[in-house]
Formats: sequence, C-alpha cells, structure tokens
Amino acid sequence: MAARKNLQSDMSFSKEDDSRPMEKSNITPVVPAHVIYNLLGFTLAMVVCPIGSYFLTLNTIFGGNSTYAGATAAIMANVVLMGYVIVAFREDKSDALEAAEKERERKGQ
Amino acid sequence: MDKLDYTPKFAPFFGMAGIAFAMTFGCIGAAYGTAKSGIGISGVATFRPDLIMKSLIPVVMSGIIAVYSLVISVLIAGDMGPPPQLNYSLFNGFMHLGCGLSVGLTGLAAGYAIGIVGDMGVRSYMKQSRIFVGMVLILIFAEVLGLYGLIVALILNTKSRG
Repeated sequence: MAARKNLQSDMSFSKEDDSRPMEKSNITPVVPAHVIYNLLGFTLAMVVCPIGSYFLTLNTIFGGNSTYAGATAAIMANVVLMGYVIVAFREDKSDALEAAEKERERKGQ
Repeated sequence: MDKLDYTPKFAPFFGMAGIAFAMTFGCIGAAYGTAKSGIGISGVATFRPDLIMKSLIPVVMSGIIAVYSLVISVLIAGDMGPPPQLNYSLFNGFMHLGCGLSVGLTGLAAGYAIGIVGDMGVRSYMKQSRIFVGMVLILIFAEVLGLYGLIVALILNTKSRG
C-alpha cells in the first residue's frame, strides 16, 4: 500500500510539473564551438605536421638526407606544442574577459 | 666470404627489433603519460571546467613523445630493404637496435615523468594558479629527456652511410 501511495504522489508531482508554464531551457552547448574547432585543429596538426613535414622535406629541401628531415619533424612537433600553450593562455584570458562583460551587462539590466 | 661475415642473414633481425623497441617503449611512455595526467584532468574538470584547456598540456606533451619514436621508426625503416638489393650489415643492425632502444627507453622515462607531474601539477593548479608556469617548466624538462634520446638516435643513424 505504501508503495502505491508513493506512486500516486509521484504522479501528482509530475502533473504539477506538466501544468507549469514552459520555461526556456538552456540549450547552449557546454563546450563552445570555437574550443572544439581549436582542439580538432591541434589534433589534426599533431597527426599531420611532423610526419608530413618529414616526407615533404626529405626529397625537396634536404635532398634525401633523412637525419635533417627527422630533426625537422621533431621541431614541427614542438612548434605545435608551443602553439597549443599560447592558445591555451589566450583562451583563458578571453574567457575571463567574456565573463566580466556578461557580469557588467547583468548589472546594467 | 668476407662480405658474408659483415652481412650475415640474421642482421636485419636486430634492425627490426630496433623499430619494434622504439615504437613499443615510446608508446608505453606516451600512454602512461596520457592516462595518468588524464586521471588528474578529469578530477580537476569536475570542479573547474574552465581549466581544462590549460590542463591538457601534459597530454599534448605525451603525444610528442610518441611522435619522436615514430620519426625514428620511419628513419630506420627507410634504411632497410630486402637482401638482393641491399646488403644489410650487422653493424647497421646493432646500430638501429641502439637507435630504437635509446629513443624508446628515454621516451618511456619522459612519459612516466610527464604522467606523474601532469597528474599532481594539474591538481595543484586547481588550488593555486601560480603553479602553472612551474608545472609547464617541469613538463618541458621532462619532455626534453625524450628529445635527448631522439638526438642520440638521429646522430647514430647518420653512421649507416659512413
């Protein structure tokens, strides 16, 4: 019996919820699109840049000297890393600025 | 007879072992670094999601360890070939084994260091933001260990055309 009572009370709750005026739900993505593009771009760069630069420079620039081409590939990997660190720094700064602006707008309203 | 002494049939075995060691050990290190720092990042991200972008740096660095081993493996593989066209000497076999082991085991060491530093560094960054520069510096010094192995392997690899 107790279980049935609970069920009824649950149902009444859900009815109340339905009768409530429709609230606008928050549908903005949790991760903003430009962050996802950033991560996708860096993933692609990490996969393509080092090995691509190795095969690109092996016969065109270094004339078959694979040691220099290998060193170039390692340098390219580190360039991607540096780019990521710089972007991560600027990302956090721009996030903080946006948050501050939103805060100001809210206060203005 | 003289040629057979320098290029025995089993010489390519050592070169192949070098490729396999470079890839396996380097990727073990990179996997450990990614997994261990990933634990820390997911721990931090539940409390401070805005720190994810900065906390991902150890993961990118572990990826670079794997790129080092990949470069050396591609280099060694470029120097190898089937016997009738290419007489692969025993010296080249041992040298390629040395290349692979040097880049693989230093990659393992660097990945291990990156994993532990990344995990704890990211967790401390959540509480104290000033630790970030220190964390990145420690990560760079850990990653340079792998770079040293790569440099030694590249220099060793030039000896094959002596």
